[in-house]
Formats: sequence, C-alpha cells, structure tokens
Amino acid sequence: MTPVRLALLLLVLCAVAAWQVTQIPSSAMQMTVGATLVPALITAGLSVCASLYALSAWRGGQADESRQDDQSPLPGSVGRLGWLLAGGVAFMLLVPFVGFVIPATVCGMLIARSFDSPLTLKSVLICGSIALVFWTLFARLLGVGLGPALPILF
Amino acid sequence: MDAFSALMGGFASALQPATLMWGFAGCLVGTLVGVLPGIGPALTIALLLPLTYHVPASSMFVMFAGIYYGAAYGGSTTSILLNTPGESSTVVTALEGNLMARRGRAGQALATAALGSFVAGTIGTIALTFIAPLVVEWALAFGPAEYFSLMVLSLVAVSAVLGRSVLRGLVSLFAGLLLGMVGVDLQTGQPRFTFGRPELLDGIEVTVAAVGLFAVGEALYLAWQGRQTQSGEVLRVTGSLWMSARDWARSWKAWLRGALFGFPIGALPAGGAELPTLLSYYTEKKLSKHPEEFGQGAIEGVAGPEAANNAAAAGVLMPLLTLGIPTSATAAIMLSAFEGYGIQTGPQLFTSQSSLVWTLIASLYIGNVILLVLNLPLVGLWVKLLKIPPPWLYAGIIVISVAGVYGAGNSVFNVGLLFVFGLMGFLMKRFDFPAAPLIVGLILGPMAEQSLRQALTISQGQWSTFISRPLSASLLLIALGLLVLPRLIRQRNRSR
Repeated sequence: MTPVRLALLLLVLCAVAAWQVTQIPSSAMQMTVGATLVPALITAGLSVCASLYALSAWRGGQADESRQDDQSPLPGSVGRLGWLLAGGVAFMLLVPFVGFVIPATVCGMLIARSFDSPLTLKSVLICGSIALVFWTLFARLLGVGLGPALPILF
Repeated sequence: MDAFSALMGGFASALQPATLMWGFAGCLVGTLVGVLPGIGPALTIALLLPLTYHVPASSMFVMFAGIYYGAAYGGSTTSILLNTPGESSTVVTALEGNLMARRGRAGQALATAALGSFVAGTIGTIALTFIAPLVVEWALAFGPAEYFSLMVLSLVAVSAVLGRSVLRGLVSLFAGLLLGMVGVDLQTGQPRFTFGRPELLDGIEVTVAAVGLFAVGEALYLAWQGRQTQSGEVLRVTGSLWMSARDWARSWKAWLRGALFGFPIGALPAGGAELPTLLSYYTEKKLSKHPEEFGQGAIEGVAGPEAANNAAAAGVLMPLLTLGIPTSATAAIMLSAFEGYGIQTGPQLFTSQSSLVWTLIASLYIGNVILLVLNLPLVGLWVKLLKIPPPWLYAGIIVISVAGVYGAGNSVFNVGLLFVFGLMGFLMKRFDFPAAPLIVGLILGPMAEQSLRQALTISQGQWSTFISRPLSASLLLIALGLLVLPRLIRQRNRSR
C-alpha cells in the first residue's frame, strides 16, 4: 500500500457513495431539506478532499509512517496481519454454533499468534482463561447477552 | 448560591454506597486502561455502552467519569516507568518522568504526578462547577442556526487543529460524517447508504466504529510491525514515594500553572490535552531555577504537564455538559451514552437532568480523592500489569472488544464491521490520518443535519439565516479562520 493507492481507494469509495446518494428514494413529504441534500454535500466534500489528497500523494507529499526507521515492519508482516484477521473470522464462523468461550479462545490464540506466540497448549490455557473470565464478567455479573459459555449449556 | 446548593445535592447522591461503588469501579478500571498501552478511555467507555440497558444513568455516568479521570492518572505511570506513554496526553510526562526514574527517583516522579493530578483535577472541577452554569445561561439563547454553526465550528476545530495535516484531518472528518448518514433518515424514513442490508438500517454503532479504530486498528498496526513481541523495559520503583521539602517547593507552582493551561484549553473545541501539556512543559523549562536539569529529569517537567493533562480532562467536560458538543473522541462516546439513555443533551441538560449532572460533577471531586488514594499505594500492581507480554495483552484486548461488540446485540455482522473498522484504523495510523475527527463526525453529523433542517424550516428555506444571525455568523467565521489562517500564515512565512 502506498499513499497513491490509498488515494485511489478513497476515490473509489467516493464513487460508491455518490452512486448510493442517487439510490436514496425521494420522499413524498414536502420539506425544505430532503433526505438527499446533506449526504450529497458530504460526498462532494469527501470527493474534493480525496482528490486533493490524491494530487498531493502523486507529488510525493503524503506520509507513510512505516517509512520511518523505527516504524518499518519486520519480515512476515502480511502473515501476522493474516493471523489477526483470521482470529476475527474464526470468531464469526464459530459463535453462532458453539457458545462464546470456544470461539473467543480460538480468536485470542490467533491474535497471540500474530504477536509471534506459537499455537501451543499454553496459548490454549491462557486464551481459554481470558475468554472465561470475560464471559463471567460480562454475561454473569453485568448481564450482557453473550449467549451460553459452552455448547453443553444450551 | 445556586450552583453550590445544587452541588451539595449532587454530593448527597454521589455518596450513596451503590453510586460510590460504581465510581470506585470506574476509577480502578480507568487507571487500569490508562496504565495499559493500546487501550484508552474512549475505547473502554465504548465497550461499556451495552451496559446502559442494565444500569441506571447516574451510576453509569459516575463510572464513566471515574474511567475518564482514572485514565488521565494512570497514563503517567506508564510514561514514567516504561517510557511508552499510555495516552497521547502523557507523552510530555514521559520526557522528564522516565529520566527521573532512570536516575533512581521514580517514586518522587510518580508522587508529583499523582499529587499534581489531584490538585489540578480539583481546580478543573471547581472551575467546571461555577463556570458551567454561566455557559448554560448564555447557550439558552441558541437557536438551531447557532447550534448548526457551533457544530460546524467544533467539527472544523477537531479536524483542522489536531493532527499534522488539515487535509488528512478533513478526509477523516468527511468519512465520519458520511458514516453518520448510514441508516434510516429520521425525518423522511428513507434508507441511506444501507446497500440493502437490514443490519445497517439503524445506522453504524459508535461502539463498533470506536473500538474497531482504536483497539483492532492499533493491534493490527503493531502486529504488522512485529516489533512488540516482548514487553518493554519496566523500571523499578526506586526512591521514596514521599517528596522532600525541595520537591514540594519545586512542584506546587508547576501544578497551579499546569491547571491554568489545562482547563481553558481543554474547554475549547479541539483544545484537547496535548497542547496544554506541551505549553506547560515549555513554560516550566523557561521559568525553572534549574533549567540545566531539563533533559535529565526535572521534577517541574513532570508536575506541570501532568497537572495540565488532568485539568484539561475537566475542561473537555464543559462543552459536553453545557452545549452537548463533544471535543474529543471520549467525549463523543459519552455523548452517545446520553443518547442511549434517551437524554437530550445541550443547555437544557442542566435543568431537565439537573440531579444527574450535579451527581456527575460531585463524583468528579470524589473520584479525584479515590484516585489519589488508589494510585500511589497500588503502584506495585500497576507495574505488574506493565509486564504482561504483548501477545496475551492484545489477545485480551481484542477478545474483550469482540465480546463488547457482540454482546451489544448478538450481531455477527457487527463483529465483521468491527474488523473492517480495524483495517481502516490500521490504514489511518499508517498514513497518519487522525481518528478523532472520524468519531466526532460520526456522532455530530446526524445532529448537525437535524439542526440544519430545523434552522431552514424556521427561516422558510432562507440559507442566509446562518450569516444574518450575528452569533451564528461569528461562529462560522471562526471556523473559516481555523481552516484558512494557519495556511495563510505558513505561506506568508515562506514568502519572507
């Protein structure tokens, strides 16, 4: 990713937003400001700013923090990002079926993996305890609806 | 004195054991998140928003106040002992504080930070108590046009003043405003930007956006860098926690000056805590009788900025409580908590929810005392927290984030959205886009649209209402000035 590519992404988003503005159904109600005006203004504002950003990035005027010496990523950066995102996906796939604790444990383990901690029994135990403690705190003590802790408790 | 008797009523309510317990819990959690890097008060309060269905408003806000003040206290511990500021507002504390710790004076650095926080926090709260009712009286004359202009001013200030680039701030702001438009339009009932997904009809939850940007985004960035796999070097708490007479003599003026910088700047739109802490640092450096010690661990360099930081925290509450205008990400999330309770914010808050507001303000005084008692004796515990290895720390932060978002409505869609915001936060951090304008835009966007519509309905479609009303025109002029002036000054300096 470079600032120029980010600018292109922003411009694509602006185009999508503009298309969505045209999709807002018109209302039969009589009013001074309808449902479309403010979204259209905001989309226009974002498009102007994104274009200026694109221009500035094209001329090399925009920052990439990771170019600084102490900020650059160590080798394997994409893999680590992948592990972390996999944690989120695993939670989403598992949570409708097996309660809260197992998905949260798997999610925690994959996140720890993205910080270079291997997938070992130690990781299972630590992430399992984290998941159980949070479930007890949120679901039991504070009454937030996280679903059952384990599938057996259905 | 009206404010005084109302405050006493607030104390009577805040000192109820149950309310006091929530305040205590807030202070503890706040210090904890202030100490831990990668998790701050905005994120914590966002995660606790789902609780608003279960806990009475006064208890919840007392806890939020505890978290808010606690984080301002706790950040200093990390700065002094780890040299990695827990919060952006304690960056300056790290400069001298960590050097003091390296020279065996960690105890005194922690003590002057805690006492300074207490003194300035209390001064800030006193100022809030007596100035807020005056602001409310003034603000009651506001119509929708003035409100719209005030919101434009706050939005511009948050985007243009903070951060290193006005342009990137504005991109972030417009993205936030656009996200705020997602969902059913309240006046016409038409769906906007929903892509046909029923999950988006209610709009984007602030919790999801804030937690995604701050927690998941930060974790993604750090994992991507791969440099945070080991804990940093945590210095031992050396030296006595008692300050010597000389330390006192060098600290107390710095505390007072810090408070004087912190409160007014914190109360301004986008004043924040970073600017007053920096100003305080440079003032102390200039006024100190021992300027040679700056850069080697000068106690004034810890006392002043730390006081400024806490007074600013009180200042930020002023526009939030009196005008309903958030000037920081944390304040924006507190505003959405008011909305969650169906409480109308703005100047009428002081009359319609008088007991809630005064309980909240009284709890700030009490919170300051609790934090003073809590901070120093428990310093050993906070040090242990700093030694948690990053894999488990971030696993914990993300799991609690996922739990908080999922618990709000058992929506897997929202968990997905959390990670999408995480990726956005990652890109924003990497390319130096500030996150606060996005969050403030997300919350203020729909409110500003409502004010705009009301103002135009009253003026029968005359857009000139925003510039023909003197107060509204002045507010818009200041907003324009904030956008244009820094650029003009820079160009003038360049051409010289």
